[in-house]
Amino acid sequence: MTPAFRITRARLRVDALVRAVGDPRAGAIVTFLGTTRNENVGRRVFRLEYEAYAGMAEAEMRRLAEEAKRRWSLRRVAMAHRIGRVPVGEASVAIAVSSGHRAEAFAACRWLIDRLKEIVPIWKREHFRGGQVWIGPQQGGPPAPRERTRRTRRAARTRRAR
Amino acid sequence: MRVHLRFFAVLREQAGARAERTVPAGTTVGALWRELVAERPALGAVKVRFAVNQTYVEPGHRLADGDEVAVFPPVSGGR
Repeated sequence: MTPAFRITRARLRVDALVRAVGDPRAGAIVTFLGTTRNENVGRRVFRLEYEAYAGMAEAEMRRLAEEAKRRWSLRRVAMAHRIGRVPVGEASVAIAVSSGHRAEAFAACRWLIDRLKEIVPIWKREHFRGGQVWIGPQQGGPPAPRERTRRTRRAARTRRAR
Repeated sequence: MRVHLRFFAVLREQAGARAERTVPAGTTVGALWRELVAERPALGAVKVRFAVNQTYVEPGHRLADGDEVAVFPPVSGGR
């Protein structure tokens, strides 16, 4: 049985999360996956690396699920976050919500991912062509000390081409 | 009294993942942080939040012996 709230180094399995929220009274299961995108604020990203305060992160996810259940009529909630390196295209976060009818599950799932990003203690470091940077909340991240500008990248390419 | 410190992300890179510290009884988490920043001014460049025993607290929270004090940069975000 998959624990309903967990931080893991393993690849995320949506089927396991869906099983974790299975309930005969549910008429809807909504899932959300957050994946590593190959671009951020103009930077070519090749992987993200996540770090968590694991015990607290799991406790915060559980608290969020309890709050979601107070706000909407839900059956069950499961959330998982991967830590370590997550290459482009792979999922770093997965949420599943079951409810009697779909509207509640959609609304709760949306709220859960937004709140998770605000308060669950997990940090990501973006590895992009030309550097790496820790990303802060609701932003593309501050310019990294080692980040090169578009102009210097173009100049470097021109030099290589010569 | 003795408290256990934990740092994450960019703060971990600057201060190490864990530390132990002896502080006077009644010390607040904010006062402890100001002391740490005074010792390592680079830590002061980051906006931080605090958790004690895995629960968010405000800087005025008073520490107890054996507490685990975690200091975080803002969490990861994304739209």
